[in-house]
Amino acid sequence: MSVYPLEHATASATLRRRLTAVEEVGKFIHAKPLGAAGAAVILAMLIVAFLARALAPYDPYTGDYELQFARPSLDHWLGTDEFGRDVLSRIMYGARIALFVGFTASVAGCSLGALLGVLSAYWGGRVDLLLERVMDILLSFPQLILALAIASILGPAVQNVVIAIAIPIVPRVARVVRAAAMSVKENVYVEAVRALGASRPRVVLQHIVPNVFAPYLIMLTAQLGSAILAEASLSYLGLGTAEPTPSWGLMLSGSAASYAEKAPWIAIFPGIAISLGVFGFNLFGDSLRDALDPKLRRG
Amino acid sequence: MAMAFPRPRFHRIGILLVLLVVSTTVTPLEGGAAETPRRGGILLAVIGAEPPSLDPHQESTFANIQLVAPLYSTLLQFDPYAFPKIIGDVALDWKIAPDGKTYTFKIRSGIRFHDGSPLTAADVKASYDKIVFPPQGTRSTRKAAFSSVERIDAPDPVTVVFHLKFASASLLPNLASPWNVIFPKKYLDKDPNHFKMNVVGSGPFKFKTYTRGGMFEGERNPDYFVKDRPYLDGYRFFISTETSVRAAAIRSGRAYIEFRNLPAPEVEAIKKQLGDKIAVQETPVTAHWGISVNNTVKPFNDVRVRKALTMAIDRYTASRVLYPLTGLKHIGGLIRPGSADWALPQAELEKLPGFWRDAEKSRMEARRLLAEAGYPNGMKVVLKNRNIRLPYQDWAVFVIQEWRKIGVEAEHRPLETAAWFADGQNTGNFELIISPPVEYMDDPDVWLGRYTTGSTQNWGRFSDPRLDDLFSRQARTLDPAERKKLTDELQRIALENAYYMPGLWWTRNLVHWAKVKNYVAPPNYYSNQKLQDVWLAED
Repeated sequence: MSVYPLEHATASATLRRRLTAVEEVGKFIHAKPLGAAGAAVILAMLIVAFLARALAPYDPYTGDYELQFARPSLDHWLGTDEFGRDVLSRIMYGARIALFVGFTASVAGCSLGALLGVLSAYWGGRVDLLLERVMDILLSFPQLILALAIASILGPAVQNVVIAIAIPIVPRVARVVRAAAMSVKENVYVEAVRALGASRPRVVLQHIVPNVFAPYLIMLTAQLGSAILAEASLSYLGLGTAEPTPSWGLMLSGSAASYAEKAPWIAIFPGIAISLGVFGFNLFGDSLRDALDPKLRRG
Repeated sequence: MAMAFPRPRFHRIGILLVLLVVSTTVTPLEGGAAETPRRGGILLAVIGAEPPSLDPHQESTFANIQLVAPLYSTLLQFDPYAFPKIIGDVALDWKIAPDGKTYTFKIRSGIRFHDGSPLTAADVKASYDKIVFPPQGTRSTRKAAFSSVERIDAPDPVTVVFHLKFASASLLPNLASPWNVIFPKKYLDKDPNHFKMNVVGSGPFKFKTYTRGGMFEGERNPDYFVKDRPYLDGYRFFISTETSVRAAAIRSGRAYIEFRNLPAPEVEAIKKQLGDKIAVQETPVTAHWGISVNNTVKPFNDVRVRKALTMAIDRYTASRVLYPLTGLKHIGGLIRPGSADWALPQAELEKLPGFWRDAEKSRMEARRLLAEAGYPNGMKVVLKNRNIRLPYQDWAVFVIQEWRKIGVEAEHRPLETAAWFADGQNTGNFELIISPPVEYMDDPDVWLGRYTTGSTQNWGRFSDPRLDDLFSRQARTLDPAERKKLTDELQRIALENAYYMPGLWWTRNLVHWAKVKNYVAPPNYYSNQKLQDVWLAED
């Protein structure tokens, strides 16, 4: 019997150096310039919102009664409103409401939607049937109409606006996450951990949830812009935050419409702020989806 | 004919003054009297709120009376062309006993309700019994104004007799109230709340359709008891709480008239666009915007807190700031300052909390009172409001800014009209609430009843036996000088204790297309809403 020495195939490759954070940002800007622009807008909004107290030139609640309807000037860059309140300061403080409502409503709505989606997919059967019919009912209403109905029942207050905007988000996210979770659930490794006796919560939390995080994140960023717009819409219709709270939608409603001819800056600048904010989140959300979607990534 | 009643001298002066004010402020209606009325057409209007119910006896919002007044008749009425002159409506004439304690009214015969049944004295009695002695489970908003009434009789189908406990100087104007409409007795017998959801009147127009939140329509009543009236084929009123929507409706011709008010910038823009197609009648209004304080809850049961809150409001600056925005203009007590008969003199007013000329000194005193009451660092309050911008929300914004200056942070909660009434009037579910006393004339019985114990209009739910006694005494006093003394004292006590915080008295711009003829705006937006004489020069 002859002995043949085993020859091991060998191969070597140089691992690509891990990029630094700055390099990652540079790469993102290079690959997704529009997304980067969106991120810059979001970052600016965050800075303005967090540092509004330091950055705003005036108290957004206190009017200078000698300066009602003052035109934009060096003292009041964006002019003043009918009570002599500085429009720039109110827009800066309004960013707080927009971001607070946008983030909390999106996170709450998306998280609850994701949870229900995963439960629906994993448990299946009657649980799935029941949850999906509830989602069908919620989905049968246009998003803003449902938010309007809920807001009008709850009454105008910031926390009610968050609830009113979050609820219509739930079924939309639940549907997407359910589809992803059903696919993940059928994977062999999930079968394996179940065969090994892992508890249901462990299977769901450790093996399914991490694998549906990408669609969750995409839905979250996509809903952020919509939530900011919904907050503005509800406030515009008198169902969101109430005067004198500085809110972009509220600044566009009522008085702005009445005084649009006399003092157009009262309506124009909050309108620009809303457009810019929503545009920024949409651009960033699109880029993030592209980055996280394997099909698009391959292309 | 109406028998002459020795009216108080002050009353006559008041009437003359009101007439003078109206005649000097109202834009002359172009040839209204000289032109030949044209028949036909639908009057389009836009109304600023949704009524909680359709029963005028139980409501006190323009949203109710402006929609349903054309459907009903009243016993007496204010002359549509000469407010506050009183003329009959279903009453043909009346006489007053020499002791002033018996009023006998003769009812026109041949009047029919819209369901075909005849209107008789029994219907008038049933309607006033509901107002003066409301049955269990029924609210009567104007009960306090009839404290003098002992009983009402209907001895025959055309005679109604009001028996009084004491002679009253203000019974006739109260009987001319646009709110006290005549309902058919047969429906009230079955359910005194029947007319909250139903309409059966005998007015110039018949009910046609009502879509909540959208539209209310009436059509010409061909059997109306006034010959050849109304001129219009009907009316169609759209409902929108949004001021800019109402202004846009006028600009676009979707509405020909807004009966309440539009802000000056909107009026200017409309006039600029439509020129002489538009007419504006500016009138004073028997209305002021103030704040009800719930005296039954802490810390508002503490007079120091109430006084601090009212003293923080600089009403003189408010007038300057808010008049161009809202029409809120005049500074006064609890009766309209333009009412020479009954208003608290300015010099006395300026000694009372909240009316000091020196705003900073007033704020310092407010801070001291708050500290003394246990709130040296200010406090947080919830201010409820109606979700109508003009002038509710503008007034609230100003007040909230003023309170911030003494460390009081107010959370502003606007509510739908029905919820606002439910929380404010019905249940007292509030700390502070914007509440405008709005009436149809200047009279102490009408204006001061709300400061008495148990009045349905006493939103603040306070009780002060001194106020009850003064109100009762003034209602029984025919000598105007003596009555003035009593009403001044009542106002002083109410204001000194800040049971209620009056704001500013209103003026209004009634805007309408010039083709709407024969509508003379009174100094309120409740009376003269039957529209029987209104006509359209073109469709």
